[in-house]
Amino acid sequence: MRLCLQELHLRRGSWELACTAGFRDGVHFVSGNVGSGKTTLSMLCAGLILPESGRVMTSGISTRALSFQFPEYHVTGSTIGKEIASWGLQAETVLENAGIGAGEGDDPLTLSRGELKRLELACIFSAEPDLLILDEPFSSLDCAGKHRLCHWIEERERGITILFSHERSVLPDVDCLWEMEGGRLTSLGKTAGAIPHWKDAPHYISTALEMGADLVNISLKSVEEAVCRIRD
Amino acid sequence: MIGIRDLRYRSLDIPGLTLDPGTTAVIGPNGSGKTTFLELCAGVAAPDSGTVTIDGERPCDTTIGWVCEFPDRNMIFSRVSDELASPLRFRHDDCREVVMQVEKMAENLGISSLLTRDIKGLSGGEKVLVSLATALVAAPHLLIMDETDSHLDQTTLERIREYLSRHMPPYILYCTQDMDAAASADHLLVFGGGRVADQGTPDAVFERLRDTCFHPPARRFF
Repeated sequence: MRLCLQELHLRRGSWELACTAGFRDGVHFVSGNVGSGKTTLSMLCAGLILPESGRVMTSGISTRALSFQFPEYHVTGSTIGKEIASWGLQAETVLENAGIGAGEGDDPLTLSRGELKRLELACIFSAEPDLLILDEPFSSLDCAGKHRLCHWIEERERGITILFSHERSVLPDVDCLWEMEGGRLTSLGKTAGAIPHWKDAPHYISTALEMGADLVNISLKSVEEAVCRIRD
Repeated sequence: MIGIRDLRYRSLDIPGLTLDPGTTAVIGPNGSGKTTFLELCAGVAAPDSGTVTIDGERPCDTTIGWVCEFPDRNMIFSRVSDELASPLRFRHDDCREVVMQVEKMAENLGISSLLTRDIKGLSGGEKVLVSLATALVAAPHLLIMDETDSHLDQTTLERIREYLSRHMPPYILYCTQDMDAAASADHLLVFGGGRVADQGTPDAVFERLRDTCFHPPARRFF
């Protein structure tokens, strides 16, 4: 599968997004500061907005899904059961995966924000789309929810997963790192070689680098163990 | 101090709690009652029974800055500068003073370029910053932030911390899923099932949470 962004250009007032990039099968992590254009790019990738010029091309992708940063605005069912059914899924399985105590007959908008996020993510992952775009999926999740999400991301057997996030403490193993700054997307390459050049790296990684850790040919998960060994 | 007595509302049940001036972080699993607790302290919800007082006053008689977990749910104006000015205009501050305060606050939080923008066109993180600036512009006695940090990057959070260190309200109450952020508070509350399951200094509480995923990464690694 392949997602190609060919000379995309979009202007909003004085701000503009311009990027050319290619995403293949695997997990891609895109970091960037507030207002750098991550959400706009996620919507372009999902086909929800169109660029002023340039093209979004896909190959081998027949289904795609976008997890929005604010799921509360995208609930369509008046009950949790109806919301799950709107995804074409069985309520019992999804509720178990989501790990929330609410019942099928409850109003989804009475859930806490973290619980609603869990429900929406459980639906999206159960749908197994070829192209999965996650815009700030960790926001509002507690640590158990974050670990569960990492597991779901890592367990995807096929397809392209693009993860836009500020998350700093719980990260899944990802294949490629990208950075977004001022509407421009930069590829840092495969994670194994990219960590030392990662400006938006979580605090524990940047601290380990400052302490002289040689974090190359290593996965994000293995970084945690390496950092512990440096400490010990 | 913030005093809570015999508080009951929905699933929340807090027989008694006092919080000294300073920063208090609230942590706990999703659905444990953190947001409900913050809403009661902010006065945006009224308890079924019991009381919340801030230095002896009811929340509605106190200047409170409230940053909602749904950042644009509380916004009532379409233009950023109007939203930011609203707490000052509602209390009939002098127009020229309002303009000055709004510009100063926007500059402090690094959002001057957003002032003429329409709120609908902002990113999630930008909406949070506008909401925070609006909460701070009237110099609140109590600032409440409901997982504000979950939408913001490290650079932006540093800027906010730096601003708050220079303009600290007497009370800051915030809930977070970033345990490193919680560890920097003066006092920590742990919620579970609508109750205060534990509380104390971050050092003491996190020592008791050492074997859970709530233990802060910075303490785990360094």
